[in-house]
Amino acid sequence: MSIFEYNGSALVAMVGKNCFAIASDWRLGVQLQTIATDFQKIYRIHDKLFLGLAGLATDAQTLYQRLVFRHKLYQLREERDMKPETFASLVSAVLYEKRFGPYFTQPVIAGLSDGDKPFICTMDSIGAKELAKDFVVAGTASESLYGACESMFKPDMEPEELFETISQALLSSVDRDCLSGWGGHVYLVTPTEVTERILKGRMD
Amino acid sequence: MARYDRAITVFSPDGHLFQVEYALEAVRKGNAAVGVRGTDTIVLAVEKKSTPKLQDSRSVRKIVNLDDHIALACAGLKADARVLINRARIECQSHKLTIEDPVTVEYITRYIAGLQQKYTQSGGVRPFGLSTLIIGFDPHTGVPSLYQTDPSGTFSAWKANATGRNSNSIREFLEKNYKETSGHETVKLAIRALLEVVESGGKNIEVAVMTKEHGLRQLEEAEIDDVVADIEAEKAAAEAAKKAPSTKET
Amino acid sequence: MESVFGLVGKDFAIVAADTSAVHSILVHKTNEDKIMILDSHKLMGASGETGDRAQFTEYIQKNVALYQFRNGIPLTTAAAANFTRGELATALRKNPYMVNIILAGYDKETGPSLYYIDYIASLHKLDKAAFGYGSYFALSMMDRHYRRDMTVEEAIELVDKCILEIRSRLVIAPPNFVIKIVDKDGAREYAWRESIKDAPVAAA
Repeated sequence: MSIFEYNGSALVAMVGKNCFAIASDWRLGVQLQTIATDFQKIYRIHDKLFLGLAGLATDAQTLYQRLVFRHKLYQLREERDMKPETFASLVSAVLYEKRFGPYFTQPVIAGLSDGDKPFICTMDSIGAKELAKDFVVAGTASESLYGACESMFKPDMEPEELFETISQALLSSVDRDCLSGWGGHVYLVTPTEVTERILKGRMD
Repeated sequence: MARYDRAITVFSPDGHLFQVEYALEAVRKGNAAVGVRGTDTIVLAVEKKSTPKLQDSRSVRKIVNLDDHIALACAGLKADARVLINRARIECQSHKLTIEDPVTVEYITRYIAGLQQKYTQSGGVRPFGLSTLIIGFDPHTGVPSLYQTDPSGTFSAWKANATGRNSNSIREFLEKNYKETSGHETVKLAIRALLEVVESGGKNIEVAVMTKEHGLRQLEEAEIDDVVADIEAEKAAAEAAKKAPSTKET
Repeated sequence: MESVFGLVGKDFAIVAADTSAVHSILVHKTNEDKIMILDSHKLMGASGETGDRAQFTEYIQKNVALYQFRNGIPLTTAAAANFTRGELATALRKNPYMVNIILAGYDKETGPSLYYIDYIASLHKLDKAAFGYGSYFALSMMDRHYRRDMTVEEAIELVDKCILEIRSRLVIAPPNFVIKIVDKDGAREYAWRESIKDAPVAAA
């Protein structure tokens, strides 16, 4: 068993037309035992920037706290929010600091950049950035997520269709993974608004 | 030019550490503080500098807890006090963590005095401008004690003592009037001693009473006013008695 | 084997733990209290390596006390839980403490709450939680019978059900348990559930 699979998680982000969506499951487990079914894996950094952390829950929490701290300092110094590209570099740098004792977590970053251009990206646990134009996935359900996204994704979807697509991809993927599931959590972000939706799925 | 008072670690030819003496001077200029040890109560009373009209007087506390069973009052630089108090509080908890038992009054006094001494013998620092009164009940024997420390790092145990502004006249008063007291009498003695040098009224003094059962309790302004009124009345009665020697009733 | 569990009721929280001190095949003690009263309104149930448990819970207790002396107000339960997580997380990559913690507390503003903190420092707020081999039984028992608005009597009945289940279904079941409670009146011991007492020492 890999340490990345200790708590279980499913994370996905998709790009639409001038918008993006990021979704995760709700489960917190310790190997096969489910501890909680209301564990948040997506965090709002600011209104146009979201961070998902898959992998070991403790490291996700520690990493999140450190990133919030660094982002707050940036906000205070620069009097503006961080661009997603900049934030991705920050996450990468913070992860690589621990090159020889990494945080066992795989981040997914999704945000709206300058001119409200969607930006999504993922990384390995030591900060190697992987940018994508369409979708990124992470967590124990990543294999099935790849399959689902690959077959369901279409470029330039409108927000509502994007929401439907990412939700279907997530729910069908977690059903094929023992370590993630118990419903879904979706953020749909357009230049004007952020919609948060809770999905019911197979609750077992 | 004499440089003996530039670095504190340097003696003057006649054996003085000037910086330490200046620190003592800071204490002499600080607010007066009195400690009186009774049989079942120990009392700390300090002079409060008149607070500006809009200031919340409760935000400036000069008598503080170090642990549940130990309290400290001090005269001198308030800013230095915070550092010393913080270090002492950490030591109280740390002692409990390693030894299980809470600190004794003597132990924490020795620790604080030791810390103050260090700051008279190390480079790049200045002494604490502080003299402290430390009270508490020994956690094992329940014996009440009162200790004093000063900037040089010496410490000593007392039945009753004072430090800060005009502490000499308070000490003289205590030497003349000290009796083994208990309960409310101890509180009265402490306040009476402080009133020697402080204008009367609950606004100008802060009093805290420690008992073995209930730990430290800061007296409310009204409570202090009551005691002060009591004392004034007694004084007036004594005065009257002196002026008109007892006339026999017919 | 070790069983620590807890739940949140209507206006209180309960923590229960077995009281066996075990080393390999030997039971050294059957009245070891594994639930520390952290401060006036907090309970810390802990399982794990005996030495780590004693050292770590006391360390947290002393720091919570220090905070109260320094600031004149007690830590909230949430703050204490996050502090505990922080300490465990820092220790995790240096010299980890083998302790799993259930932290229950009562705050004036937020009422009763219960936090799950495992030895790798994953923190989560829950209504019911369990650690150790007993968790397999306690969790399913609580999943079936738990309600958020339980009274003390109902909750104790549920705790007793869990204890009964552990005693009857676990091969290496511990004989004795201690139950503690925290509500608006403070944290205190509620009851012991003993099936054996320490054998009296024969007179010399």
